[in-house]
Amino acid sequence: MPDLLNTSLTGMLAFQRALQVTSHNIANANTPGYSRQVAEFSTRIGSGGGNTYVGGGTQISQIRRMYDSLLGGQLQTATTSQARFSALNDLAGRIDSLLADADTGLNDGLQALFNAVQDVSNDPASIPTRQALLGEADSLVNRFRTIDNRLDELASELNSRLSLAVTDINRLASAIADVNDQIVLTNGSSQPPNDLLDKRDGLVRELAGFISVSTVIQEDGAMNVFIGSGQALVMSGMTQQLDVRGDEFDPTRVSVVFEGTGGATSLDGFLSGGAVGGLLEFRSRMLDPARQSLGQTAVAFAEAFNAQHAAGMDLRGNVGAAMFGVAPPAVLESSDNTGSGSAIAGLADVAALTGADYVLEFDGASYSLTRADTNEVIAMTGSGTPADPFVADGLTIEVAGSPAAGDRFLVRSGQAGAGSIEALISDPQGLALAAPTRSELSIDNIGNATVSPASVVDATDPGLLTTSVIEFTSPTTYSINGTGSFAYNDGDPIVINGSSITISGVPAIGDQFTIEANFGASADNSNGLLLSGLQSKGVLDGGTISINENYSRLVSSVGGTTSQIQAGLDAQDVILANVEDAMRAKSGVNLDEEAARLLRYQQAYQAVAQVVAVTRTLFDTLINATGR
Amino acid sequence: MRISTLGAFTNGLAAIQRIQAALDHAQRQISTGRRILTPADDPIASARSVELRESLSRLEQFNRNATIATNRLAQEEATLASVNDVLQRVRELTLQANNATQSNETRRLIAVEVREQLDFLVQLANQKDGTGSYLFAGNLGDVEPVSSMGSVFTYNGDQGQRLIQIGEGRQVADGDPGSAVFFLIRKGNGVFSTAAGAGNSGTGMLGTGSLVDPTQYDQDLYTIRFLDPMNYEVVDSGGGTVLSGGYQSGDTIAFRGIEVTLTGQPAAGDEFIASPSRFQDVFSTIDAIATAMERSVNDDVSRAAMGNELNGGLIDIDQAIGNILDIRTQVGSRLAAAESQVDANGAYALITQETLAEIEDLDYAEAISRLTLQVSTLEAAQQSFVRTQSLSLFNYL
Repeated sequence: MPDLLNTSLTGMLAFQRALQVTSHNIANANTPGYSRQVAEFSTRIGSGGGNTYVGGGTQISQIRRMYDSLLGGQLQTATTSQARFSALNDLAGRIDSLLADADTGLNDGLQALFNAVQDVSNDPASIPTRQALLGEADSLVNRFRTIDNRLDELASELNSRLSLAVTDINRLASAIADVNDQIVLTNGSSQPPNDLLDKRDGLVRELAGFISVSTVIQEDGAMNVFIGSGQALVMSGMTQQLDVRGDEFDPTRVSVVFEGTGGATSLDGFLSGGAVGGLLEFRSRMLDPARQSLGQTAVAFAEAFNAQHAAGMDLRGNVGAAMFGVAPPAVLESSDNTGSGSAIAGLADVAALTGADYVLEFDGASYSLTRADTNEVIAMTGSGTPADPFVADGLTIEVAGSPAAGDRFLVRSGQAGAGSIEALISDPQGLALAAPTRSELSIDNIGNATVSPASVVDATDPGLLTTSVIEFTSPTTYSINGTGSFAYNDGDPIVINGSSITISGVPAIGDQFTIEANFGASADNSNGLLLSGLQSKGVLDGGTISINENYSRLVSSVGGTTSQIQAGLDAQDVILANVEDAMRAKSGVNLDEEAARLLRYQQAYQAVAQVVAVTRTLFDTLINATGR
Repeated sequence: MRISTLGAFTNGLAAIQRIQAALDHAQRQISTGRRILTPADDPIASARSVELRESLSRLEQFNRNATIATNRLAQEEATLASVNDVLQRVRELTLQANNATQSNETRRLIAVEVREQLDFLVQLANQKDGTGSYLFAGNLGDVEPVSSMGSVFTYNGDQGQRLIQIGEGRQVADGDPGSAVFFLIRKGNGVFSTAAGAGNSGTGMLGTGSLVDPTQYDQDLYTIRFLDPMNYEVVDSGGGTVLSGGYQSGDTIAFRGIEVTLTGQPAAGDEFIASPSRFQDVFSTIDAIATAMERSVNDDVSRAAMGNELNGGLIDIDQAIGNILDIRTQVGSRLAAAESQVDANGAYALITQETLAEIEDLDYAEAISRLTLQVSTLEAAQQSFVRTQSLSLFNYL
């Protein structure tokens, strides 16, 4: 009889427990990361007596967490990838609309400037039209600077995002270590600490959103978490902290470092996934190239415009002054340098300029130059002295002082351009729209030879503005300023003091042609036309790419990358959703299922309770039978 | 397959959000009329549309330039027409004055009108354009191009000619310097000019002469000197005798590739000169004509002297008229070039605009039907979401 009671008691206890598990499931139906739990029943081994063997009732052998660790791993990977694309997409979209927008992009500004150049070429004497050109020059400069500012802001936003992400990573690492400690304490009990495991899995998944991680479960149930190239972030109950530091060259450029026992190690090259990986990838793949290309465009624009402007004459009779100013390429010294060397860079040739960053390294005997983004070694000519500087990729580099072996310098060939560009001319009369020299044929000429307008071949010639008289000493020879005798060939250019003219036809003895300074030519637009020709002139990439094309290249490359990233994000969203779906199918709570279980355990409990009633009836029967 | 309650909820919601995002995209497309909202929507097409917009803007600018060039050329053409009228009038007056029926008085009256025409011509040459720059000063827009000191006329401008960009790689001059219009005009027949000696005492009159053999002509100065009324000799600038011969009125004298015709009766010692053509400005030409008209003609000798001068002036006026005609022809062809370039620009702009529209513009029919489809999909999704979410076994417990 007591056996019967005991047996039914085991049932009542087991079903009660099962009802508890079910209600835990129902209560956590909406808890993210919760894995449903299932009570597993098993028979209690009874006691054998004589020839019969009677069972001892039921028991809950385990409350099992419905969790698939394989799916868990997939979910972690998918989360890492999705977070990477999501971080990329957030920032890429902003850079994309910044560059291509008509109100902020360069295209419209360049177009407006060159239209103004044409307007002023139509009426070069008009001061209001000249003023309008200066206005457009100002607004173009502003566009350059605005875009550069916004890119700067993106860079500093990226820094703070990185440092927030690192804070989160450290917090999560500590939390995982805490949970590890609690799990280790339960080690030895037959019952797995389901909710602690869920909590840890949730924390690891959150961590995987920031950074790519790999995990190993120890025998005592603790989890070790590794990041980057195998650095241990969590070892059981211990954590290593991550930190952000300024780059060795540029303190405003933050990199993620691992505070290991041997000092801080930069992890920038190893963090490829998660939000942190996405941020670092955005910086190296989009932000840096965009700033460099924009700077390169600014430098090339300023240099090309200035060179043409210097080949003209302004309303005051002066050769054109520089119209735009840009800072020279920046050189940043590594904070690790131990020597006292220094380096300065300049511009050698715009057509060869790449805009990229370079690392100049001293190995104790000589300098070598490496392109920072491709790690390609760039050959330099020259010896690095001011008289004979190193020349490579359109740059000149001069070195001085005594560097130690291993000292490094970062040379930024383009980046400084867009932020530093400025319009230098504010006086409308200072616009050099006229040619600096003109040609005249003498009114006393007898021959029928005619002369072309003078064109400038070397604006820097010191004798540019001096008057030269070509006098024919015979129909086939001429002298210059009364001296020399040069052979005349019909139609051949004659270059004197940096100006070139072409005489064609048959001159007579004594015929004179003059090249002189083009003073007072307020209506001359020769140089204005040449300036407007810059719009389609190739100045970059060996003289094949125009300013506009270079910027359009940047816009379409950023647009292409952005659309790739969007497509990648869409794909990762789907993958993540699929894995989450599979995970939920395995671990998620289905309320209908729980309702059915509720019903089932309730009925089972009632049935067992009936057994108690039967026991009582049996007992009563026995008492009544023997009670007399 | 097992469905978890949270999963069913999340998936249903995600589906609705996806449709909403697509709906928003379609709605923004429709409200802006643009197929591409950000460059990332279609990087290649948006790069292309940037290029096309640029090219449209350039075409607009070219047409603006062409309008300016056309206006200036039209103004120049109108001025040149007036110049031509002046020259034609001077020519008529010269012919009139050269008539033997004119008396000294009537010729002087004609001279007065010639001088008035000369003043008018100087005014025309010094005309300003709409922006206040001188029309015929070359590139020295602020300098009055023609000034006179007695009968010496000076050109103060330069010989530059301004070009205006009216198309991709196409430029047209928007004017001509005063030097080309008024000053660089060859005297005589364009190769050499003839004149009678100032002290001639006969009645010999010299024709224009013509170039017969350019290879023989050496641009030297030749003097036909009469030894006596029947014989002459031709000497070059070095004093060497080139030719000598007997003379009869109407004889053509040919030497060194040129020939000239002499009429009338020169006296012994009279000289006639054939010198290489120099440039002579049209003002000096007219001034010389007026001066010749103002002479007093009392006898055959002075009549011959005046006749020689008026004949020379007439030839020079014809040169000037020919020069103006040349320049007007050029102006006309530039106007035609500008006009045809504007047409070409317009045609190209139209094609560009069409291409741009194909790339950028929204196909409204497609977008609206897409929107309609998405709206009904969203409604269906919302309804099914509410229906499935309200299903629960707990309702029946």
